[in-house]
Amino acid sequence: MIQAEVDIGEILMHHTADAYSLDFSFFKLEWHAWPWAEFHLLGTTFNLTPTKHVVFMLVAGTLLFMTMWLVGRILERQRAGQKAPHGFANGMEAFVLWLRHDLVITNIGPHDGPRFAPYILTLFFFILYSNLLGLLPWGATATGNLGVTAALAIMALFTIELSGLFKLGIRGYMRTIFPSLPGMSGAGGLLMSLAMGPIEILGKLVKPFALCFRLFGNMTAGHFVILTLFGLIFMFGNLAGWRWAIGAASATLVLGVMLLEIIVAFVQAYVFAIINAVLIGMMQHEH
Amino acid sequence: MFSLLALMLQEGHGQAGGASGPFALEPGLIIWTWIVFLALFLLLRKFAWPFIVRATEERERTIQQQLADAERLNEEAKASLDKHNQLLAEAKDQAHELVVQAKSIGEKEREQLLARAREEQEEILERAKREIDAERDRALADLRREAVDLSLAAATKLIQQKLGDASDRKIVEQYLATLEDKS
Repeated sequence: MIQAEVDIGEILMHHTADAYSLDFSFFKLEWHAWPWAEFHLLGTTFNLTPTKHVVFMLVAGTLLFMTMWLVGRILERQRAGQKAPHGFANGMEAFVLWLRHDLVITNIGPHDGPRFAPYILTLFFFILYSNLLGLLPWGATATGNLGVTAALAIMALFTIELSGLFKLGIRGYMRTIFPSLPGMSGAGGLLMSLAMGPIEILGKLVKPFALCFRLFGNMTAGHFVILTLFGLIFMFGNLAGWRWAIGAASATLVLGVMLLEIIVAFVQAYVFAIINAVLIGMMQHEH
Repeated sequence: MFSLLALMLQEGHGQAGGASGPFALEPGLIIWTWIVFLALFLLLRKFAWPFIVRATEERERTIQQQLADAERLNEEAKASLDKHNQLLAEAKDQAHELVVQAKSIGEKEREQLLARAREEQEEILERAKREIDAERDRALADLRREAVDLSLAAATKLIQQKLGDASDRKIVEQYLATLEDKS
């Protein structure tokens, strides 16, 4: 017999969706959208009432700041004391430096790389912390929300394009939209350049779009899989004799997926950050 | 850019039919994300990243500095080497020029000496020739006089009379001249 009272789909949608509530089982908090925090701009209604995902973003940000601030302080103290670096701070330093070098400087270049390092590093760790927070019990994944990933992608778009504008100048930047094609000159070349314009602009927009949906999709899909596997337990909960086996199998699979999700959390943060860095680097070295 | 945003908003609403599903795109959340990220970015940039990457950045700067120094020194060394080589080439050129000059002067000197020697030689030769000619002429004159005397003596003996006046002499001299012309 399949139990029908539990609507897995509903749980799934409810779990991954944003809400005006916090639910820690032992502590529940619900609120409503504040009408005074609403404003209209460009035909869109913006409501700045904090949601569950806003709270988790703030938690991620706070935790991240605390970690890095502490790491920085410990490192400074170790250096001042002429002590050999050790422990968690040293590990984080190595991690940060590896990211700074392999992710940022390798892709953007030795001259411009260090200037973009704070942005890319913040991006990486913010996404990583948000991803990991979603894996904790009662946690919510802010990066599994299209709004958050869209905001990060829009930011990436502006960073990439503005970095190009500042580096290449207006003329140089226009070349990235209307490229000068090798082996074509005169009226034909001009025509082709103009024809390439819409394609280039579309290319510029598609990249952040992909960033946005990749992160959102990966984070949401993991939760869907975990919840679906958990749903099996509820669906077959009154199947006498088999339910223990199904429960054990589900729990094992969920454990496996959870471990996979930890890897995915790192990989997606890495992917988002490295693609951002690569795109900035491509823009910087466009000639 | 905003058209993209609007497109995404439409997508979100279209799929979830409201702002409740996981595919909903809440515009307020975008603003929140920017606020949180920007605050985090500024805070970390001021209070965290510099302290974590400081040691490495300093080392990088030092190495960069050293590399730049090395490059500058190398450049300088190259420049001074170039200058040195140029000076060497100039000196070589000068030496060559001097040698050429000396050679040409020597050549000229030799020519002059040779010319003078030739001149002297010719002069000596000329003088010798002149002296020989003069000597020969004198000898010839002597011989002629002797011949005249002998002839006259012989003639005197022959015709038993003294033929010594000037007209006789003339006849014999004329005869001798004809002999000379024949020979």
